[in-house]
Amino acid sequence: MSHIESPTDVAAIQEQLHKSRVESGPGAASTSASVATMNFVVFVDDPAHRVWVLVRAQLVAQKHPSRLIVLDSTSAASGVEVSSATRENGGATIVNERVHIGVSTLDHGSIISLTQELSVPDIETVLWWSGARLLQSRTFSGLAQHATTVLVDSSGMARGEETIRELGEFLSRFPSVALRDLAFMRLAPWQDMIAQFFDDPALREDLFSITRLQIESGSDAEALYLAGWLGSRLSWEIAERDAFRDRRGKTIPFEKIDKGDQRRVQSVVLHAGTSVYRAELSDADPHVVALSIEGTRSRPVRYVPLQNIGNTSLIERAILECSRDEIFETSLLTVRELLG
Amino acid sequence: MASGLGTRRADGAMPNPLRAGLDSNRISDPLNIIFFGASGDLTKRMLMPAMYNLRLNDVLPTNFGIIGFSRSAKSHYDFREEMKEAIDEFSRSGPTKEPLWTDFAERLHYIQGSFDDPEEFKELKKQIEENDEKLGTGGNRLYYLATPPGVFPKVVQQLAAVGLGPKDQAKGWTRIIVEKPFGTDLDSARALQTEVMKVFEESQVYRIDHYLGKEPVQDIMALRFANVMFEPIWNRLYVDSVQITAAETVGVEGRGGYYEHAGALRDMIQNHVMNLLALVAMEPPISPHANDVRDEKFKVLSAMRPILEDQVSKVTARGQYGPGLIEGKAVPGYREEESVDPSSVTETYACVKFLIDNWRWAGVPFYLRSGKRLARKHSEIAVKFRGIPHRIFGEAGDQIENNTLVMKIQPDEGVSIRFNAKVPGPKMHIRGVTMDFNYGTGFGVESAPAYERLIADAMRGDATLFTRWDAVEQAWQAVMPILGRWTDSRNIDFPNYLAGSQGPQNADALLVADEREWRRI
Repeated sequence: MSHIESPTDVAAIQEQLHKSRVESGPGAASTSASVATMNFVVFVDDPAHRVWVLVRAQLVAQKHPSRLIVLDSTSAASGVEVSSATRENGGATIVNERVHIGVSTLDHGSIISLTQELSVPDIETVLWWSGARLLQSRTFSGLAQHATTVLVDSSGMARGEETIRELGEFLSRFPSVALRDLAFMRLAPWQDMIAQFFDDPALREDLFSITRLQIESGSDAEALYLAGWLGSRLSWEIAERDAFRDRRGKTIPFEKIDKGDQRRVQSVVLHAGTSVYRAELSDADPHVVALSIEGTRSRPVRYVPLQNIGNTSLIERAILECSRDEIFETSLLTVRELLG
Repeated sequence: MASGLGTRRADGAMPNPLRAGLDSNRISDPLNIIFFGASGDLTKRMLMPAMYNLRLNDVLPTNFGIIGFSRSAKSHYDFREEMKEAIDEFSRSGPTKEPLWTDFAERLHYIQGSFDDPEEFKELKKQIEENDEKLGTGGNRLYYLATPPGVFPKVVQQLAAVGLGPKDQAKGWTRIIVEKPFGTDLDSARALQTEVMKVFEESQVYRIDHYLGKEPVQDIMALRFANVMFEPIWNRLYVDSVQITAAETVGVEGRGGYYEHAGALRDMIQNHVMNLLALVAMEPPISPHANDVRDEKFKVLSAMRPILEDQVSKVTARGQYGPGLIEGKAVPGYREEESVDPSSVTETYACVKFLIDNWRWAGVPFYLRSGKRLARKHSEIAVKFRGIPHRIFGEAGDQIENNTLVMKIQPDEGVSIRFNAKVPGPKMHIRGVTMDFNYGTGFGVESAPAYERLIADAMRGDATLFTRWDAVEQAWQAVMPILGRWTDSRNIDFPNYLAGSQGPQNADALLVADEREWRRI
């Protein structure tokens, strides 16, 4: 790993990248070529999340041939660190380059131009934004403009609700950028499990007689998104801050209970007609969910595995699915309306 | 606010509005899957671990039942314990875990029975009906013949006799998965097909070739038909020759009894390798759907030039391994393997040169080879292109190579392209370089093993990766003259290659005669 004092000395960074690549990569006589498939730009300004973000960014970058550009706005970083790692896989040489820049002293213009100059041209740029502010940050707006995909994690942000409001606005300001929120992506297995209840045509009509919704989770974003997703799928309207209104005009109270670890949903309970549909983490294994129906539609408990909850896997998925997600976007807009 | 509600379907049912946009691999139809040969090695090592992993990955439908049928005496409880041990040992996801195992085990049942006894098939019928009632399996049935091929006809006949065939079914669907080999020659394959067709329709038969479930085999279609740059040169004008290799380092692995009657030609070339040939040589199908793909595979196999028996020695070579070294360890020769005749003339290596008489491939040789105890486990398809028409670089261009596109199937699945480039420096000096793409690292995702993929496809009713009868018949027709000749001329000097080598010398001679050479294994 090489250190460069001045974070704006692009020529020195480029030279060091080249040197590092030659030193760690195949020699000039080699007949193997290698490829980078994306620029992976990571911005972090919260010291509390810094290590969490850096570790996962590194894991993803190691797996996918990429140029990782870390824009570290915490006081822990200064100057520029450049490194390059190669590994052989099936006769191919996989090259991963990493440029870690301390940007706390740089203005937004410098950060944006630095990022552009260091990006490999003509390949996708994924921006993982882990900053406290979104649209209010000119750095964010500038970087997002040049990205193909923007990735955030609203459940990891201190301003959770405000972040979701801003994400709603992001959709209209950056229509050509694919937006992903890890908080929403984390819900995929829960969405599937709730949908499973109603795959049985005999139970489907209950979807239209839901009278109450309870979600337990360790952070707000997941509970809000899950409610927003249900609401948007079932054409509910917003009645008030914590209540929806169904198509017949009946109010559906939404109770959000803070319970368990951050970023984890604990349970979802739907009261529908004379039955209660419950999906909750199993006591025996936190990676298994018990699905049960009580009441007139009673069914035996079924256990289903909770899939793909690793954050690194979610980041990878966001990178691989690079188009806009209509379901996410309508859910986000519903949540924004719910928050008022 | 956007509405997620759909309109009612033709049958009056409202679609589940929560399903929109959800990326779920789960199979929608409830079903019973019945494994014949449930005490066998295939069920323990491959099939049951595959089923359990499909459950772990939430691919199995909400309502499913699994019934094992075999000769050995055991209770439902014993069967569950036996399958648990097998999954603990062989599953890629590691040992079973609670509470999912108990949930899975409760759906496992066992019927002890002889394949000749209709009474025991009646017991099977009772269990299926009980599952339909208690587990909500909806009348859908998938039979899996994991038995020795000799009993395939018996099982099919017994199913029909007790009313478990598709024609007797009041509701739901019935499909049958048949393990390879489908017959031991053209006549036996046709006889088996006749028996199967008495009970099933062709669309209900899924002839499994686990090779086709491997991700890189499916990637051949994507490479050819999702890119514009390969198809224009994928023909006799630009392609010099094609080599298809399926090399193994393992010997017969305790299957000497089976292999003695099979040999490399039947065991690998007639099915796995011919399927690869069909995928690489077929015309673009009009869609990726099963019948469109299988139509094209059949057409190209039909266009293979028949090999006359008196030409067999000119276009084929066979070999049998003797003792040698694999990864530095001494291994016995084939004739020293368990259940193998000490004077056996069964081939453990086979190579064949085929020609395809159609507009696209006229005159382009397809060299197919497969063998056991070779230097490396290695399967690939190598398309070698013709040389450049005119050399402008004089001596500097002496090292210019023919371009080669290699589709690597296992291990290290990927694609590599060999092309020529200038060596950096003041002088014009040209040499070959390789550009590699590796699926695992390129996408950073792990694909499901072949059996998981194929069983799930059969449950969904997607037959794309299964072999249709017409292709099986064509493949048998193509190899029958070779089998005939090899059977007649049994006076052959075996063993003729060392374990751990590149194969027999007569295989090299086959290509040398065409002024070509095999790629190194």
